Amino acid sequence: MQHEVREEGETLVVALAGEIDLEHSPKAREVLLECVGRSRPILVDLSGVEYIDSSGVASLVEALQQAKARGQSLALASVSASALRVLELARLDKVFTIHASVAAGLGG
Amino acid sequence: MSDRSGEGAVTAGTEAAELNPLVEKAPVGEATDLPRAFALLAEMTRRFADSLEVTPALVAALESIAAQLGAEGGSLWLRDDQAGEAGEIVCEASVGPADITGLRLSIEEGIVGRCVRENACQSVFDTAKDPAFASSVDKASGIRTRSILCAPMPGSDGAIGAVELINRREGDGCFSAGDLHVLEVLASSAALALSNARMATAAAEHRRVQRELELAAEIQRALLPEAGAVDAPIHGENVPARTVSGDFFDYLELSDGRISFCLGDVSGKGMNAALLMAKTASLYRCLTKTIPSPGRLLAVINDELAETSSRGMFVTMAAGVYDPASGQVVLANAGHEPPLFRSTDGGFRGIPALEPPLGVIQGLLPPEGYPETTIDLAGGRLFVFSDGLTEAIGADGEQIGSEGLEALFDEYQEDSIADCVAAVIRRVGDLEHRDDLTLLGLEQRAGSTSEERAEALWDHRCPAEAKQLAGIRKDLRGALAAAGLDDTRAADFVTAIDEACQNVVRHAYADAPAGDMQVTLLRCGSEWTLLLRDWAPPVDPSCLDAGRDFDDLRPGGLGTRFMKELMDEVSFDSPPAGGGNRLRLVKRLS
Repeated sequence: MQHEVREEGETLVVALAGEIDLEHSPKAREVLLECVGRSRPILVDLSGVEYIDSSGVASLVEALQQAKARGQSLALASVSASALRVLELARLDKVFTIHASVAAGLGG
Repeated sequence: MSDRSGEGAVTAGTEAAELNPLVEKAPVGEATDLPRAFALLAEMTRRFADSLEVTPALVAALESIAAQLGAEGGSLWLRDDQAGEAGEIVCEASVGPADITGLRLSIEEGIVGRCVRENACQSVFDTAKDPAFASSVDKASGIRTRSILCAPMPGSDGAIGAVELINRREGDGCFSAGDLHVLEVLASSAALALSNARMATAAAEHRRVQRELELAAEIQRALLPEAGAVDAPIHGENVPARTVSGDFFDYLELSDGRISFCLGDVSGKGMNAALLMAKTASLYRCLTKTIPSPGRLLAVINDELAETSSRGMFVTMAAGVYDPASGQVVLANAGHEPPLFRSTDGGFRGIPALEPPLGVIQGLLPPEGYPETTIDLAGGRLFVFSDGLTEAIGADGEQIGSEGLEALFDEYQEDSIADCVAAVIRRVGDLEHRDDLTLLGLEQRAGSTSEERAEALWDHRCPAEAKQLAGIRKDLRGALAAAGLDDTRAADFVTAIDEACQNVVRHAYADAPAGDMQVTLLRCGSEWTLLLRDWAPPVDPSCLDAGRDFDDLRPGGLGTRFMKELMDEVSFDSPPAGGGNRLRLVKRLS
């Protein structure tokens, strides 16, 4: 799994890529929670995600729950088909705000 | 043959000479040089034997005969029964001052017509006195015919033609009885040569047709499916009554693992039936891949055949789809001999046709097509066959019927389905039968579980560690793709087993160094099974009850939810020998 965090104005864009499975989801969780700690709006770019399992989804859910608790926003952008399938399985596609692209997420 | 008809011709010729006052007798040998006549006969016979083309040999023979008997002209006529009302004779060769080759006469006309008609020699001294004389020939040739000598060319069924000489050059211009005998012998020899040539042509034609039939039969055999493995659940045999067959059967595995099969019988026999068989078999093989319902499949084939039906031909056909995973057969029957289902208790049940054969009327059926019957094989056997089997004649002189066939199926019940089908076909083939014999057998073996019949597609054992998961996913994806599963479904299988493996990695060996886990992919028809084995302390099967509630967003419960969502069955087997646990994930694709 690869990750990259960059600033787009106020927003932190967290780009995750590769396979977010049991082996790598602890790292994804760490990156996401660290961003939540910076008290800024978060947009998670999932365009490069080839595979995500329940542990990866759990990391996203935990980050969303903490962000909401702190009154911050956390949205997803550019969700790949395979990642969307897993989010739908977990019925989480209704829980997350999902933007078609990073640009759309920033504009919104 | 030639002896009898030769004698007949001579006798008839003699009778004709006696009955006809215009035909006068002359002593044999008078004005006839017998040694030269024999030499000519020998020469003619040799030339016929040497020659491949019969017509030039006939022309040469005619020239020799005319010269030998001192005739001004001569012609050789052959019978053409197809032409005219009563049949015609056509001049095949002609010598003398005018060429009348190709001239046609009705068989009712002229001296030569009478000769062929009556298969009897004719000798006319003065044509003016014989009302049968056809003056049209003289008009065509410009020659005045005074005397005629005419001998038939005898065949097995009357004369095939005649040789006619006109106007003897020497003496009184009339031919003698001796001349007539010589001509008769020479004409018989020419007839024999011509018959041989015609038989050779017919034999060559027959060989050509036979070769074409054999080629057609070869192509037909290629349309039948190749015999499967010894333990295949389906087997068919076809024995044509003639070279080519109007029966056919076929079966193939569909992409979802089910087996589609059919057996048909085209009305009639021979080449036209064989061609319609080839068309129907091709339609079936093409359409069954996209139309999984046998009832609808038959309806589509019906419409296609009816659109271009010819000569009232039609096809009776039974088609079905068998799912090895469930043992269920869905069967549709279009006017075909009722297939027989033999259950494990030995009882038989026929599946009669409720609707007519294919190719009779277009748009006969509602969109859902021919009615379907579902049969649960439950270890039993299904036989589909053509009426050639039930109509075979038994020892009592009666048709064996389905009862006779049932007795044979019982007899070979202990054999494999392939051996059973082959044996029954052989036994019926030994009986008196007139029709093509075609039999298709399908079985689900008694007591075989789907796992025993399943094919192991992939197996992998490794330490239960998180870093192994990427490799498992990659290799399983490869195995699923190789088995022909599409990417979307493969991704679901991968997600499900990945979640199962996670549970083993996280929980199974919690208190000890990580042991192994083993993933196995099995397929039985449309049923796909993933087994995950570990060697950890037994788990409480109720742990799978977690994750039922979709509102529960606790991260830990997600994996089990995924598995249940993606697969049809998620369960632990009873504890395997050697300890540990075996989780079973099953997906049935339709």
